[in-house]
Amino acid sequence: MPSGALLLQSIILGLLLGGLYALLAAGLTLYFGIMRVVMIAHSAFLILAAYLAWWTNDRLGIDPLLSMVVTVPLFFGAGVLLQRGLLSRLRPVTLTMMSVLITFAIALIIEGLLGYVFSGTQRRIQLGYGTESFNLFGARVAVVKLIAFALAAVSLAGLYVLMKRTQFGWALRATIQHPDAARLVGIDTERTAGFGFGLGLATAAVGGTALSLDTTIYPSLHWHWIGPLMAIIVVGGLGSVPGAAAAALVLGLAQSLLQIPMGATWAQTVFYVALFATLAVRPQGFFGGRLAQRF
Amino acid sequence: MLIAAILVFPSLAPNPYILSSGVIVLNWAVLATAWNFVGGFTGYISLGHGALAGLGGYATGLLITKAGIPSFVALILAAVLVAALAVPIGFAALRVRGASFVIVSIALVLILLLVFQSWSSVTGGSRGLVVPRPFPGMLRPEHHRAFFFLYGGLLILALATWWLLDRSRFGMGLKAIREDEDKAESLGTPTFAYKLTVFVVSTAFTALAGGLYALWFGDLDPVFQFSVLTGSYIVLMALLGGVRNLFGPVLGAIVVGIALEYFKVEFGSTPLHLVTTGLLLGLVVMFMPDGVIPSVTGLAQRLRKREQSSIREFTAADLAEQRKRDREGATS
Amino acid sequence: MRSPARRTTWAIALSATLFLAACGGGGDEGGGEKSGDPIVVGISLPLTGDFSEPGKGVQEGYEAWAKITNDKGGLLGRQIELKILDDQSNADRVVADYEQLIGSDQVDLVVGPFSTRLVVPSARVAQEYGMLFVEPAGAAAEVFNQGFKNLFYAAPAVADDHYNHLAEHLLALPAGQRPTSVAYAAMDDPFAQGTAYGLKKKLEAGGVKTVVDEVYPPNTTDFGSIAAKIAAAKPDMVVGGSQYQDGVNLIVALQQLNYQPKLAAFSTAPTNPEFAKAIGNKTEGILSPTGYSQDAPYPSNKEFVEKFTAQFGKAPEEDQANGYTTGQVVGAAVQAAGCAEQGECQQKLIDWLHSNTVDTVVGSLKWDATGKPQGAHMIQQWIGNDIKIVLPADAKEADMVYPKPAW
Repeated sequence: MPSGALLLQSIILGLLLGGLYALLAAGLTLYFGIMRVVMIAHSAFLILAAYLAWWTNDRLGIDPLLSMVVTVPLFFGAGVLLQRGLLSRLRPVTLTMMSVLITFAIALIIEGLLGYVFSGTQRRIQLGYGTESFNLFGARVAVVKLIAFALAAVSLAGLYVLMKRTQFGWALRATIQHPDAARLVGIDTERTAGFGFGLGLATAAVGGTALSLDTTIYPSLHWHWIGPLMAIIVVGGLGSVPGAAAAALVLGLAQSLLQIPMGATWAQTVFYVALFATLAVRPQGFFGGRLAQRF
Repeated sequence: MLIAAILVFPSLAPNPYILSSGVIVLNWAVLATAWNFVGGFTGYISLGHGALAGLGGYATGLLITKAGIPSFVALILAAVLVAALAVPIGFAALRVRGASFVIVSIALVLILLLVFQSWSSVTGGSRGLVVPRPFPGMLRPEHHRAFFFLYGGLLILALATWWLLDRSRFGMGLKAIREDEDKAESLGTPTFAYKLTVFVVSTAFTALAGGLYALWFGDLDPVFQFSVLTGSYIVLMALLGGVRNLFGPVLGAIVVGIALEYFKVEFGSTPLHLVTTGLLLGLVVMFMPDGVIPSVTGLAQRLRKREQSSIREFTAADLAEQRKRDREGATS
Repeated sequence: MRSPARRTTWAIALSATLFLAACGGGGDEGGGEKSGDPIVVGISLPLTGDFSEPGKGVQEGYEAWAKITNDKGGLLGRQIELKILDDQSNADRVVADYEQLIGSDQVDLVVGPFSTRLVVPSARVAQEYGMLFVEPAGAAAEVFNQGFKNLFYAAPAVADDHYNHLAEHLLALPAGQRPTSVAYAAMDDPFAQGTAYGLKKKLEAGGVKTVVDEVYPPNTTDFGSIAAKIAAAKPDMVVGGSQYQDGVNLIVALQQLNYQPKLAAFSTAPTNPEFAKAIGNKTEGILSPTGYSQDAPYPSNKEFVEKFTAQFGKAPEEDQANGYTTGQVVGAAVQAAGCAEQGECQQKLIDWLHSNTVDTVVGSLKWDATGKPQGAHMIQQWIGNDIKIVLPADAKEADMVYPKPAW
């Protein structure tokens, strides 16, 4: 029987991890909501951002968090370009399948270029405060993990405010819910969709920076992220941002707790078990709305 | 023609290395053709076929090492087992359409990788599994030659099956799913049963190819048996060659397979493989979603009959072509 | 329907022919065995991928060996030429590489790649072509029970024996001082796990309790939960069966949890020159087994350290020494047998190595019938800001610090 301290420690680690999952899954959900596109390259961009943060720290010697000043706008632009330049040009009939292949191809390209430029060697940011931690009810919370969680939480909150309180958020939600009707009331859905994509990719920039603080990165790491993330968005119900966030926290926590009896590797299977179970029992997901049922 | 090429190639190959590359290319050809049972007929794109091949390889290897079954009996048995396993996998994956199917197919690769890495008492884990040689004492060049013919036989079997399916009522039903699943269903086609059946057939051939690879190669490592890259190479090959054509995937496999080996010899192995694969896949999807053969023949026809080539809508051309094809399929 | 099909068939035949023509031309350039020709040594190494760090180290070792030997007039009066391919740390690639080197490039000799996972498949290729296969990295037990007759491991000891000196030392301590509980965390890799489990077996036999036993796959990046388990069990000693980055990650994760063991031993990682910087210089008291030391008194070692430093501008580490040792072993066999080419010569080389001892930079090596070397590793410890040999007693540069200071 695991001790109380170990349980508490695992719960904290699970919540910290779940926060990061939630932010990234929110980005994936956004793409799916806007265009019914499953963006396989999302986690490749995540790793790209992590590499840029590592590079900033390693070569320029500045704090990796500052790299976001560049990467967030950069990724936003890349997202807009991606949507306008590639995805919106695909034939609507086969859009879903072909967009998967296109984004898959982009993921391969990013992975290959990262391997070419930075080599396949595992990298890790060496921070002065990397091993610092503080005590919380007998559990240790590492400073870097807390920063990562805070980044994720702040970005998610920002995303929420943007979606609910601004003119753009209103247009974006309208585009997601009913593109034809949105066009009728005068929303430029094409442009809104492009910006929505940029927003999604910007979450990858933030997530990647958060990730780089406390993990080793290597070019093919993105496959280990895309699997859990896709499971999260299916379980949460494709297209539902709150659903994705809830599923992310639940599954992140489950993974962390299951590691106690099962070990690190088997615990990862919780995502796929959840994925298959959801598809077999409730294909529209557990938090999903109207959208999910069609896919 | 293809048979002749397969028969002649081993005696023309200047050295064992070329022969071994030939085996690899044939392996790809079988995998791409097997993939095309699902991809070509139903339009469902699976990125997980690499994992099914890996499963076939591991099943073959485990049956030989743990159960002491003779090599080629194990190969057949493994294919049957994996095909049986494809029923529940297909049941979960095919209930959903489009996006979710692709997600499931990728998830399949990732989950199998996890399981085969972790369950080391059975699978050998990250240390890999050593599959005993089916022909002990045979020297390597001879070994390559034997497997070249085995793969050749399997390829012809797969192609023949595809050809027969293409002309059957069953094949018609599958193609109907590709064009419009809802309409096909409302017209009384048992779409789910059809999809599941063809998925199982596809899996059986994939597992056979994977099992043969295990016997030929001798070492299985989960990282490479359950790699997303394998699946993406297969998709690239099939799409490049053209999924609606009997020989399309074979052609794609030859082009891509040779290119892979050639780049390795010339430039060594760099991550640029990934970049090239990604770029090619992107270009094919963007500009030639029906494959190179249809695009090129389409272009040739347009050049020949210039009088017809007024402004054409992409989808209309597709439909016309499809109608022609279906008519041909129905009359023959 | 029929005509496109036929066109495709033609296209297939055409491309197959082109393929033959393209590849056939370059096939047999490496042949011809005149005495003026260089001796071409074929090697496949992981220059990218999981094992690129040690892979490059081994490469430098091979290059140093070729240069030092060539400067002295080569082997049998022939210059040595290395042909190195990158296998991306990938077993599929490594086999294709050796296939290409032996079958297509017709190299005269082949030597091994890095990492046990890659040694077994490549040794099989060499075996089936009848080639001698000396390798710098296949230290795990399963390399030696595959029945290879052509394989020799060019290092002092196999993985399971790396910690022998430490185990003896700990078990010889008086009962009150001896660590009573140990946590093990090992990468699921034959070498890394072999080191940790070799020690585990000996300590368990000596009555030291195992409280945590974790195995993680090579691509693990998050060590938080493994560290949490270890810290919660509060063992006296922690043993990591690590390569490089995983060892660093585990140590950092343990430090984040503020866990202070009396003894911490990790394989490979602590001997890496980047190690101290990677964990923020909190290295105090970490132990590591090593098969090589720059200060070792063996005759050829002084020359190696000197010339290697001149060539690469840095002192050689264990990986470099392993590559160099492999070269020395092959070189000795070639000198003794008086030949270096494919064919019957290879069997002469194999027979000679089975019945002789070779002097190398890691000491005198001899092998049993399976190619397993007969020896043990030295134990080093981080003391102050330097890593020093502490065991065995006759080679030590400093006394072992136990219990270790806080990190």
